[in-house]
Amino acid sequence: MSKSDREKQHPYIPELAEQLRKQQIDRREFLRTATLLGVSAPAAYAMAGKIMGQSIVPEARAQTATPKKGGNLRCSMRCQEMTDPAKFDWTEKSNVARGMLEYMAITGSDNITRPFLAERWEASTDLKTWTFKLRQGVKWSNGDEFNADDVVHNFTRWLDPKVGSSNLGLFDSMVTATDTGKLDAKGAKMISKSMTPGAIEKVDAHTVKLHLNRAELAVPENLYNYPTAIVHRKFDEMGANLSKNPIGTGPFSLKEYTVGQKIVLARRQGYWGDEPLLDSITYVDHGDDPAAGLSALASGQVDMVHETFVEQLDVVKKIPNVVLHEAITAQTAVARMQVDKKPFTDKRVRQALLACLDHPKLLEVAYRGRGALAEDHHVAPIHPEYFKLPVVKQDYALAKKLLADAGYANGIDVKIDLKREPPWELAACQAIAEICKPAGIRIQLNVLPSTQYWEIWDKTDFGFTGWTHRPLGVMVLNLAYRSGVPWNETHYDNPAFNKALDAAGSTLDANERRKLMEGLEKTLQNDAIIAQPLWRSIFSSTHERVKDYKLHPTNYHQMNKVWLA
Amino acid sequence: MLIFITRRLGLMALTMITVSVLVFLLMEISPGTVAQKVLGPYTNDEQRQLWLEQNGYFRPFYVRYLSWLGHFMTGDFGPSIRFKVPVAEVLWPRLANTGILAGSVLAVMVPLSLSLGVLAGMREGSKLDRSITVAGVVTTSVPEFASAVFLTATFVFWLGWLPGTSTMSEGWRLNQMVLPVAALVLYDFGYVARMTRASMAEVMTTPYIRTAILKGLPYWRVILRHALRNALIAPFTVIMLQINWLLSGVIVVEFFFAYKGFGATLLEASLNQDIYLIEACAMVSVFVAVTTQTIADVGYTFLNPRIRFQ
Repeated sequence: MSKSDREKQHPYIPELAEQLRKQQIDRREFLRTATLLGVSAPAAYAMAGKIMGQSIVPEARAQTATPKKGGNLRCSMRCQEMTDPAKFDWTEKSNVARGMLEYMAITGSDNITRPFLAERWEASTDLKTWTFKLRQGVKWSNGDEFNADDVVHNFTRWLDPKVGSSNLGLFDSMVTATDTGKLDAKGAKMISKSMTPGAIEKVDAHTVKLHLNRAELAVPENLYNYPTAIVHRKFDEMGANLSKNPIGTGPFSLKEYTVGQKIVLARRQGYWGDEPLLDSITYVDHGDDPAAGLSALASGQVDMVHETFVEQLDVVKKIPNVVLHEAITAQTAVARMQVDKKPFTDKRVRQALLACLDHPKLLEVAYRGRGALAEDHHVAPIHPEYFKLPVVKQDYALAKKLLADAGYANGIDVKIDLKREPPWELAACQAIAEICKPAGIRIQLNVLPSTQYWEIWDKTDFGFTGWTHRPLGVMVLNLAYRSGVPWNETHYDNPAFNKALDAAGSTLDANERRKLMEGLEKTLQNDAIIAQPLWRSIFSSTHERVKDYKLHPTNYHQMNKVWLA
Repeated sequence: MLIFITRRLGLMALTMITVSVLVFLLMEISPGTVAQKVLGPYTNDEQRQLWLEQNGYFRPFYVRYLSWLGHFMTGDFGPSIRFKVPVAEVLWPRLANTGILAGSVLAVMVPLSLSLGVLAGMREGSKLDRSITVAGVVTTSVPEFASAVFLTATFVFWLGWLPGTSTMSEGWRLNQMVLPVAALVLYDFGYVARMTRASMAEVMTTPYIRTAILKGLPYWRVILRHALRNALIAPFTVIMLQINWLLSGVIVVEFFFAYKGFGATLLEASLNQDIYLIEACAMVSVFVAVTTQTIADVGYTFLNPRIRFQ
């Protein structure tokens, strides 16, 4: 670390280093927090190495051969529309765009977020002001230079309700709600949410500042969410359509594009960073039948299948020369109950349902044991701030008593809405229904096609909703359990919880934050708003000729280092 | 005759208009759900209201219907939600792909099932007849989704002879056609062969065939000249019906082999609530059904001298 870097470093860094020295935090947590606070990844690795007396060389990938340049990687994945990255709702769309567009930060397959288009960042001690120093010398594929105007433009459009981007919810700390004075069809006040004036400030051509309404820890992580790819400052002027105007800072250009069929990305000249090894990537659309992708892999039509489902593991193992990749994630699905709809208004009913659960059994039955045990509070063991709570045991007697106290001595009939895909969700719901029967909770399954489920996911009183991986536990809690946020599907409204969450979200010290998480996790568990069967691993499969590919916990494709033997 | 054709065409138009009203009612009666389908689940109410306003969804229902119908008549089916391109750009190439698949199936299935049916029907109860009948019944009773899995397990995973999917992503390939065509032919040929066999067997028992044989004509000549013509009327009708079946019956096979055809598109559009694409697919299906029926009716009156109009 140079002298000037040391001068600029976040005041918390020395304390963090001290904690690592005393082994209060592990190396991984140190790297994560240090990079989060603006220390570049090599510098953070070097610091960790110095403190722990290890080599300063970053962890090397296990390499069997020297990387070779060239070749076309063929991957089976849905080829969807790619109009506006800010409106992406599928990882697949962002995977194609990720070849052409880049992000301010990047979260690696190790769940550590590092600077990317932003060279470094600094957060104020109260975590309300974030300064981003942008990388210089980055060129757009049309020759323009990447600068602060691009970043300002992106934030402005994300937080404009007319654009329709889910980033509006992601950067809630930069948004102000105003009463439009109009009433909606149901007679409720229409509240408009848009960017707080002055929330983003251009300091100079390569510096931007974010001014947040409240402390926010996960700003860098949020900047590597799939809809936060940085588009050109003239994106809207040029028709706001990425597939028609594929201008990006990334290493690939769009060579061929037929929605629903095939997309080809080709390595482009003049990329600012290290050139990728592949000449091109071809995405082939095999429709919604997961078996089709494996057939294509088995017959050599593709080198890789984007997603392999847990039900397919046996088939994959039987295909010669195919490697199965597994990533432990914070992906899950929760049987969530709306606290303002009967019978779930009564906490005892919800608690009775949770008392029936046998988590090890659920993991085994619904996901072949490949994942981690859940504790019904939506914070995963791989989250850095996870606090381990005592194991909750199945207790039918308690469940029956709670039900009887709530006035359902003869048991209760409820209907859960769930979607057909991915299939493990149905298996999990069937297992939950079976496991709850002895206590008198009779759960009827209402299986819907995915799209139909996504129409009612936040409306139904009892539903089984899939949640993707997020790098930090506080991110999920902020998105789903804070009062009044758009994705609060349980309608959970607990001011004390919100306050505790505010505190956790503004606590940098991982140990301190973990202590706060104990309370949050216990509150959620005790209020019993979600029954969470498991944390699941995700899988993908490649031919063994595909080298240095690492499955990302959110299945984001990072192909710059991948090569073909 | 002219009056008959005009009447049929009028009826055809009326059917299509009725269906179009139904389709529009089913799909677009509630603007709120349209906005949600178009913008996706992760948007808030305000964003949806803005979209509805921009796209004229606050106009009266009949105005929206007429404007929709007007666009439809001129070939403007609106944008596909899933593909984010005009529906026509997705629909026509995929319909053509299904045409190719259906054509290939007919090209294989018709000669195969007719010749097997005729062979079986020539000598009712012979060993050949029994074998063909059993084979036909067995393959017809295995649905396409099962035979597709079986074919893939054998020729893709075990023997490794054929490609597992038929996306034609590197241009049209004959070897990618083999499995989907095989799955459909396996399912369909037994049915047509059995029809042909029954018809042939019936003809073979008629007095004029007996006379022809008795007067000493060579056997092959009796079959080709006398029996075949009459025996083929029934199978011909059955084959005509298969064309309609092929338009919808290919859904399973197209989906399984990732063949980019009309059936798979219809399924994908329905599963993903791509309303404008569903509307277009529904109208195309109705158009094909009504048109083939009209053509069949008109054609039949020309061909069959026993049907005449006043």
